[in-house]
Amino acid sequence: MLKAQNITVSLGKSEILHDVSFEAKPAQLTAIVGPNGSGKTTLLRAMTGDAEYSGTVELNGHDIKTARAWELASERAVLPQATPLAFPFTVLEVVRLGLNSGVTADKGGLVMRALRRVGLAGFEGRFYQELSGGEQQRVQLARVLSQVWEPVTDDTPRWLFLDEPVSALDIGHQLQVMQIAKDYADAGGGVVAVMHDLNLTAMFADSIALISEGRVLRQAAPEAVLQDELLSRAYQCSVRVNTPPADGTYLLPHAASFAAE
Amino acid sequence: MTRLHPLFLLQVVTSLAIFLFIATTAWANEKPSRIVSIGGSITEIIYALGEEDRLVARDTTSNHPSVATALPDVGYIRRLSPEGLLSVNPDLIIAREGAGPLETMELMREAEIDLAEIPHGFTAKDVALKITSVADALGVPDKGAALADKVTAEIETAHASVGEGAPKRVLFVLSIAGGNITAAGDNTEAGAIIEMAGGVNALKGVEGYKQMSPEAVATSNPDVILVMDRGGDHGISLEGIKAHPALSTTPAAMNDALVKLDGMLILGFSVRTGEAVASLSQALATVGE
Amino acid sequence: MSLALQDNIGVTTVAGDRTRRARQLTWFLALLLAGGMLLSLAVGASGTSLWSGVFDLVTGQDLALRDKVVLLDIRLPRTLMGVLVGAALAVSGAVMQGLFRNPLADPGLVGVSAGAGLGAIIAIVLGGLLPAVVTDKLGYYLVPVAAFAGSWASTLVLYRVATRKGRTSVATMLLAGIALGAIAGAISGLLVYKADDAQLRTLTFWGMGSLAGATWTKLLAATPLIVAALAVSPFLARGLNGLALGEAAASHMGISVQLTKNVSILMVAAATGAAVAVSGGIGFVGLVVPHLLRLMVGPDHKYLLLNSALLGAALLLVADVISRIVIAPAELPIGIVTATLGGPFFLWILLRQRGLLDM
Repeated sequence: MLKAQNITVSLGKSEILHDVSFEAKPAQLTAIVGPNGSGKTTLLRAMTGDAEYSGTVELNGHDIKTARAWELASERAVLPQATPLAFPFTVLEVVRLGLNSGVTADKGGLVMRALRRVGLAGFEGRFYQELSGGEQQRVQLARVLSQVWEPVTDDTPRWLFLDEPVSALDIGHQLQVMQIAKDYADAGGGVVAVMHDLNLTAMFADSIALISEGRVLRQAAPEAVLQDELLSRAYQCSVRVNTPPADGTYLLPHAASFAAE
Repeated sequence: MTRLHPLFLLQVVTSLAIFLFIATTAWANEKPSRIVSIGGSITEIIYALGEEDRLVARDTTSNHPSVATALPDVGYIRRLSPEGLLSVNPDLIIAREGAGPLETMELMREAEIDLAEIPHGFTAKDVALKITSVADALGVPDKGAALADKVTAEIETAHASVGEGAPKRVLFVLSIAGGNITAAGDNTEAGAIIEMAGGVNALKGVEGYKQMSPEAVATSNPDVILVMDRGGDHGISLEGIKAHPALSTTPAAMNDALVKLDGMLILGFSVRTGEAVASLSQALATVGE
Repeated sequence: MSLALQDNIGVTTVAGDRTRRARQLTWFLALLLAGGMLLSLAVGASGTSLWSGVFDLVTGQDLALRDKVVLLDIRLPRTLMGVLVGAALAVSGAVMQGLFRNPLADPGLVGVSAGAGLGAIIAIVLGGLLPAVVTDKLGYYLVPVAAFAGSWASTLVLYRVATRKGRTSVATMLLAGIALGAIAGAISGLLVYKADDAQLRTLTFWGMGSLAGATWTKLLAATPLIVAALAVSPFLARGLNGLALGEAAASHMGISVQLTKNVSILMVAAATGAAVAVSGGIGFVGLVVPHLLRLMVGPDHKYLLLNSALLGAALLLVADVISRIVIAPAELPIGIVTATLGGPFFLWILLRQRGLLDM
């Protein structure tokens, strides 16, 4: 269980999050969506301990403020938006850094399994700095996966925090990465992802928190959040939600009438 | 064990023989015969005493007389390397006061090499003391006393012949590199030789060789500028002085009163100091007239 | 066919895994260092032979006094000093580069050595003003300790100025380094102006960078700081590896970033301070050695730090041997040798690596 209560974050004089509460359950993919500058990445950064906040964040029942770095690292891994690397590491070496957290040993070639999982088998000898942005993002995902490879250990769920995990990817790899996240949740782990693309969110999320101007407008199941009126209010443009008849997923074609209101 | 025995014995015998050889040679030769001279003025004195055959090495500053440069150079007077010194296998090191570093001198003592430290000063008396100290270290005190008397007399004669009239203000300029002037203040060889030659050091109240502000240089108001002659076109030229903003306004620059003299001659405070005083006082009397 | 067989033998090695090569290199560098130490003990201006000296010692005979001084009081402390200083400079460079996440960070380039130098100069010139209780207690340690304080203060200032929100700006770092160097130089200049003749002599000798002044006393004074710093450095490897991904990612991986930073700064300050105090400014070792090793076996600090220590020590010994034989019986300052060898070599690396250095 991930529980964030009464989170307020200020940057300088301006308050970015106002008394926000948020919850994510294990075995679910929880998405945080909202327009640019709404505070969704800030909320994630508060919950990973990267941003100063007031309020409490509990992960698996303990306060992350008092937990030690290595204890947290054994329970959750974080994928940042972009990770520039200082030195010429090979792909294999970057992924192996995930193991270095000291709580996982490379049993059964975890590094290679993680690389195969993200579709980068054969890339292990390449230099990270020479890869494309999308490939780098997937290498980082492999590193993060290798840090918390087993979704559940000793009946305790482990967590993936993903900050816009598909931002640099083409549609094929977007689906692949979202499927990896979904599989992790299906196996009992918790996944919290900041998402930009509402269509992908609709396809994969079990729960969605919609944020606007530093407040959570609603956190609920996708069909309860993805509604015309609510989305239009949050994104300040007219949005219409369509439901295709067959498989029950939601599709949100980009609205043609931006200038309507 | 038994197979090692003869070899071991041989080693003992040879080293014993070597030891005896060294011991006897050291005993027989009471005067040191392998001498390293550290300091240009020391080397000059050794040559003047006619004891140069006993020299095996010298330091970088020892370049007069020019035959001395044929000797191996053990490095700069203040950066002597211990193993470099030991490599010429000396039995005596005669060094000017201030030679170093301390660590090297410490190691020489440890290696039981005799070390004669020669005091250094800026008066006729100091020159005489320097000469007798070097001669004592060489074991030729009589020769030393004679040379000291001769040099003292030369200095006195030169000093006595200094011309009448108001003394000239003399500025010794060590360098004008990059437009920065380094000049001699109180307690310097240059200041002392200027006074001995009947001049007045234009830069008073400053200790040692110091970089001066242009204004301080201009207000020092020198009648004569004294520089070291580095031979040929090297060193500071009259054009260089006239082109320098602070120096160009001084009486010395306007009257073309520049004196160039050999650095080792005027700053050495050694056997040629009488000659130095004479040359400088003569130059002061005639320059810019 | 034979190629395929060889591939099968090396089956544990995966592409992109340079662990094995790094370990092999460690053995090679250890041998190189041993060779360098022998060379440093065997070569010198005097004709003293290491072998006959060792033979005499082993067979229990007394050495001739002069040979004893050359071998035991000149070459041996000098060799050990070369090992310590070389290792200290190279490991400081590697740690600093890891901390700043930049291959151009070097104690010599960014003003840390200048800070150490200022500390040493203050100790030399103003040491006499301290109460006798302090000077008596510290004795020979006064200069190394002051140099350590100077390098620690400048590293701290540098880090505070150049790092904002966990990101280190390279341009700010280099500029701050230049400013720090200028400030240290200015204060040093002022003190030099105030120094008397004897102090000036110490300063001049000290400033040029040399191992020639190595004595047992100096060695004893520098050893505790350098050995402590080197002993701590392996524990920084994981933290510095994590920092290569940025401070946030490092802390997500369970690394206590602040501890890593604090220990790194203290380690660099101690090693650089002590090295500068006893040997003056010796440049390029901290820059070239880690860079070369990263090219050969990768940036993993687990191997980089140990290999840097070995290669730095070996290179400095070789440079020192060159410095003593080139113009024997006189000596070149070793700083000139390392700059002459290291400068062009580093330019060559930069030319080859232009693409990879851009970030």
